[in-house]
Amino acid sequence: MTQRNLDPITLAVVSSALDTIVDEMAYTVMRTSRSPLVRDVLDYSCTICDASGRILTQAKTVALHLGAVPDAIEAVLEAYGGTFVPGDIVILNDPYQGGMHLPDIFMFKPIFTGDTLHGFSVVITHHCDMGGRVPGSNAADSTEIFQEGLRIPPLKLYEAGVRNRTLIDIIRKNVRVPDLVIGDIESQIATCNIGERNFIDLLERYGESELRDYFDELIDYGETLTRKVIASWPDGEYAFTDYIDGDGFTREQIPITVKLTVDGDHVTADFEGSSPQVRGAINSTMSFTKSSTYLAIRCALDQKVPNNAGVYRCITVKAPLGSILNPQMPAPVAARALTGYRTVDTVMGALAQVVPDKVRAAGEGGNTVICFGGYDKETREPFIMVDMINGAWGARADADGIEGITNPSQNMSNMPIETLEQRYPVRMEEYAFREDSCGAGRYRGGLGLVRQYRLLADEAILQLRSDRYVNPPYGLGGGGPAAPARNVFNPDAEHEDLPSKVTRTVHTGDVLRHEQPGGGGHGDPLERPVEEVAADVLNQKISPAFAKAQFGVVFAADLSADPDATAARRAEMAAAR
Amino acid sequence: MDGTARIAVDIGGTFTDLVLLSADGRSHYLKQASTPDRPEQAVIDGIATLLKTAGLVPGDIAEVLHGTTVGSNTLLQKQGAVTGLITTRGFRDVLEIGRVRTPGMFDLTWKKPEPLVPRRFRREVDERISTEGEVLTPLDAGEVVAVARGLVEDGVTSIAICFLNSYRNPEHERAAEAAIRDALPDTAVTSSVSVLPEIKEYERTSTAVVNAYVLPVLQSYIARLEAGLGEAGIDAPLLVSNSNGGLAAAKTAQEKPVFFISSGRSAGVVGATHMGRAVGEDNLIVFDMGGTTASAALVHDGKLSRTNEYEFRAGISTPSRFIKAGGYMMRVPTVDVAEVGSGGGSIAWVDAGGLLNVGPLSAGAEPGPACYAMGGEKPTVTDANVVLGLLPETLAGGSLDLDVSAARAAIGRDVAEPLGLSVEDAAIGIRDVANVNMARAIRAVTVERGVDPRDFTLLGFGGSGPVHACDLARVLNVGRVLFPPMPGVFTAMGMLAGDVERYFIQAWPGYLRNADMAKLSATMTDLAERAEATLKEEGYAASGITLDFEIDLRFEDQDNEVAVPVTRGMLDADKLRARFIEIYRSIYQYASDDEVETVNLRLIGRGVRANKVDFAHVRTAAQPSPGGAAQMRSAYFDRVSGWRDAPVLWRESFSGEQAGPAIIESSDSTIVVPPGARASLDAAGNIVVEV
Repeated sequence: MTQRNLDPITLAVVSSALDTIVDEMAYTVMRTSRSPLVRDVLDYSCTICDASGRILTQAKTVALHLGAVPDAIEAVLEAYGGTFVPGDIVILNDPYQGGMHLPDIFMFKPIFTGDTLHGFSVVITHHCDMGGRVPGSNAADSTEIFQEGLRIPPLKLYEAGVRNRTLIDIIRKNVRVPDLVIGDIESQIATCNIGERNFIDLLERYGESELRDYFDELIDYGETLTRKVIASWPDGEYAFTDYIDGDGFTREQIPITVKLTVDGDHVTADFEGSSPQVRGAINSTMSFTKSSTYLAIRCALDQKVPNNAGVYRCITVKAPLGSILNPQMPAPVAARALTGYRTVDTVMGALAQVVPDKVRAAGEGGNTVICFGGYDKETREPFIMVDMINGAWGARADADGIEGITNPSQNMSNMPIETLEQRYPVRMEEYAFREDSCGAGRYRGGLGLVRQYRLLADEAILQLRSDRYVNPPYGLGGGGPAAPARNVFNPDAEHEDLPSKVTRTVHTGDVLRHEQPGGGGHGDPLERPVEEVAADVLNQKISPAFAKAQFGVVFAADLSADPDATAARRAEMAAAR
Repeated sequence: MDGTARIAVDIGGTFTDLVLLSADGRSHYLKQASTPDRPEQAVIDGIATLLKTAGLVPGDIAEVLHGTTVGSNTLLQKQGAVTGLITTRGFRDVLEIGRVRTPGMFDLTWKKPEPLVPRRFRREVDERISTEGEVLTPLDAGEVVAVARGLVEDGVTSIAICFLNSYRNPEHERAAEAAIRDALPDTAVTSSVSVLPEIKEYERTSTAVVNAYVLPVLQSYIARLEAGLGEAGIDAPLLVSNSNGGLAAAKTAQEKPVFFISSGRSAGVVGATHMGRAVGEDNLIVFDMGGTTASAALVHDGKLSRTNEYEFRAGISTPSRFIKAGGYMMRVPTVDVAEVGSGGGSIAWVDAGGLLNVGPLSAGAEPGPACYAMGGEKPTVTDANVVLGLLPETLAGGSLDLDVSAARAAIGRDVAEPLGLSVEDAAIGIRDVANVNMARAIRAVTVERGVDPRDFTLLGFGGSGPVHACDLARVLNVGRVLFPPMPGVFTAMGMLAGDVERYFIQAWPGYLRNADMAKLSATMTDLAERAEATLKEEGYAASGITLDFEIDLRFEDQDNEVAVPVTRGMLDADKLRARFIEIYRSIYQYASDDEVETVNLRLIGRGVRANKVDFAHVRTAAQPSPGGAAQMRSAYFDRVSGWRDAPVLWRESFSGEQAGPAIIESSDSTIVVPPGARASLDAAGNIVVEV
């Protein structure tokens, strides 16, 4: 590291000023976007990169997007290199050229003062449709990327301030809800402008060349702190395998296998042994595999490590070409987020052997995505509801898991029921905790959620992506697994048990009930104090029967714990091990 | 209005501050020890004393303005009512699920706050209203009463009700509320539409639940205060400061306490903007340190930062625009203030690892710091300041003698001995740790938002603020510190400087293109009549009332609006659209060609009092002055200079310039001017210190 003569107060202000710029950007997306998936669920992310494309900081939005930015910006730089001029804006969504899946449009606005390029204002938004065979463009059962919608390589949406009408018109013609999609693209533009303006303010306040030193320092600082933490981990190789239920065509288990090698102050994650690429659309391109791996490792670092490119320098990710984690064109990828979640779970499973106190048991396994898409019978106006259900955390080494919580890879929100009903021909019938769905342990996992929908429109295509149907979220340190997922179609009529991934046509009055898994437990359930079990029973989070079966705590009819019966039951359970 | 004098009262954890503004524009002030068990007692006693000092009688008082921490303390200490929640069947967990976000990223150690209503007290009834407002499943009032009775039998004393889509059709909520009031008259009831008739069930539920949780406490407090004022012969209206820094009738505070959680604290910040305007300071860091907490807010380009959502949290508490996770959500307009639990009464202690900590426990007013000799034995920040010679031996205008030896003994026993330090070094350590904590609050509103504190002037007030402000300014590289006249009672002064603001809102959903402008004009007339009637009722003459209209507009399908100021001359769709696009473009440097939606029409009515504090010319009644020449006192300002003799000046007679070290005293506070700094007096009577 070079010696720079920097003022510590300025360093602190610049670091926080960058955080404030990206949070201001995130706030702008929320205020200007149109589709509930963006403005309410917050499926987007914002960052600022320097002129060479290094991430300087990240907004507190979907974390899993941002590890893909280095590859995306590389694709942009490769396509346009030094030819940027002020007023340019570039977009892309092609998973095989820097993107993740087609609904996520990356937008980059180069930031200039005069002719000097200083960096990029970056916004990634999940659009509620990108065309293709299934509304929402998220289906797990496509077999090649050409079925999944419109592919956009790195292209200039604006060139020197002039709008590329051709590109806009092509997008407009290829998506089901053009006003929402274009409106959300415009929201990305407004956000890039806000990022650009605030970044230029910062440049003017502190000086362009001085700031460059501060940026270098911040990234080096991120790297130094990361290396320090990794150096404190025991050297060695740590392997773990987790599974996905199936790809939407077969119910065959799909393994994700990692070998983590801790070597001094560097970590290598090698996914050799993971499944070959699959027929269904859950293949994860390399940029997303890296992103998922960075994220899992980042969670085991200290909180004070800044969220910038310095962290990535300490982590190498390898996945065999042609595998589910590094597929070859034209493998379909639309539902790849699921594979990302499982990659995070897998890496965390390995990290639990390295730093057992820093890692939690498995959570719900990633959000469940439910889409209803169709057309109003009278007006022929299209509708596409894309709803995402989150979630539960597994237990920690010193605390229970959490219920009603985002997957840590996202920091998403939920769609308010009243917004959902106002915008879509769907009525919500239940949104509640799922009792007894937690993994037992000295610390229990969080409860999963139930969400039940009734279709009011004449007809719609239902597309459902869930998982952890066969393989429940794992516990750690002797803690039990959580309850697996369940999907029920028309629970009060035919009560059909649906698989984890579904695309089918449904009709008015049809009901879909999703029961999400909870989080795994941590430690021996027989060591959970009786009072804590009793509090959960009193609060109707677990039933007396579950308490008896899992924790060995026996309750009388008035819900008071019976100490003698409990002692006997716990002794019996211990003896049976 | 019969009377002519106005009184403002701000209750803190340690002192109750009172300011009386008499008809001739002079202000009298008093710091009275708070009475936490019955906070109204200090108010009533203080008013009696102040009237006597001013030579007035109770009938001379035109109005009593009040800021109180009863609401925030109830939430902070989790001492609210045992609260129940009744919801639509299938949705009782909406409150605890929340909006599922976390305040940070990559943090697997985070803990979600416990909901104010545990699951067993969240119960459901059969009823359903559609998104269009149509009744799908009728409500059975009998079922509601049975469920409410069950809750009361289990110990619940306050019930919140939130049904889905009640913002579209409040019929069921209103019926349920009426049925419970009828059947269970002793149980407090809050329907969600009565506090927030807006879409989004979590925000509405949570706001209603906070209201229900603090309602019984605040209601009985205000009732006792009103009764006490009545007994003292004061029948003037009582107005309470709300979280937005405005004032509202006491009755509103009793029914909708959720709008009053940051009462008082917000009034101080609003006062600071008036103060800044009066003396031409557009960029202020507003720093308020009392006995129990310290808070910081920002006035930037003359404007105060406000927010529509506020999440109450333990530890450092800051509003956030889109976290939706960290605490108890209230969707109410709030002044943006960061707060930490560090004040003069914060207790210093050494933890098991040998680390010195200050707070968050406070000795408060009872038993108070060791030096108050009122039973407190724990060393506090104030004890450290006394030991260091920074505070005089009497406080609050001579009403409180300080026991220096008790302070030395407490610090010696609990801090110096365990750490193997001298008492002085221990005391300066306590002061440093408290300063670091308080710097966090200032950083939260400056550095952490990318605002460079070096561009700002620090305004220091509160009972302990002037004792610490200059050191904090040095920590943050702020060059200038301003101390208003009577900094110790500044928040109460701030209430007397403001106007009363009333908001009247009419929802007006639709497309701008189709808007019926004649109807809009009629609605404006309606709102104006309502506003004038309300303000006249509160004693404002027609000539003292101003009315401003805004229309909230947005592009189709957006969720957030832009407020567009509007006059009757602008009631034309094209003109409004053009104005909206102009404002939108100035914010986002981009505007769409899409349809524009109308959301709300809003009227801001202001009542302007003739007799209010003018910060450009504050006139205080003469205060007792010890007289005589400047005294010298030995004080310990920092480790480098050690004990030094410093002149002790009386603020009333201070003029010219004074180099630090120096101590400037008045009966409400003490300004510490460290070595190397320079103090002077500006034209408005503020002391300005260049640090």
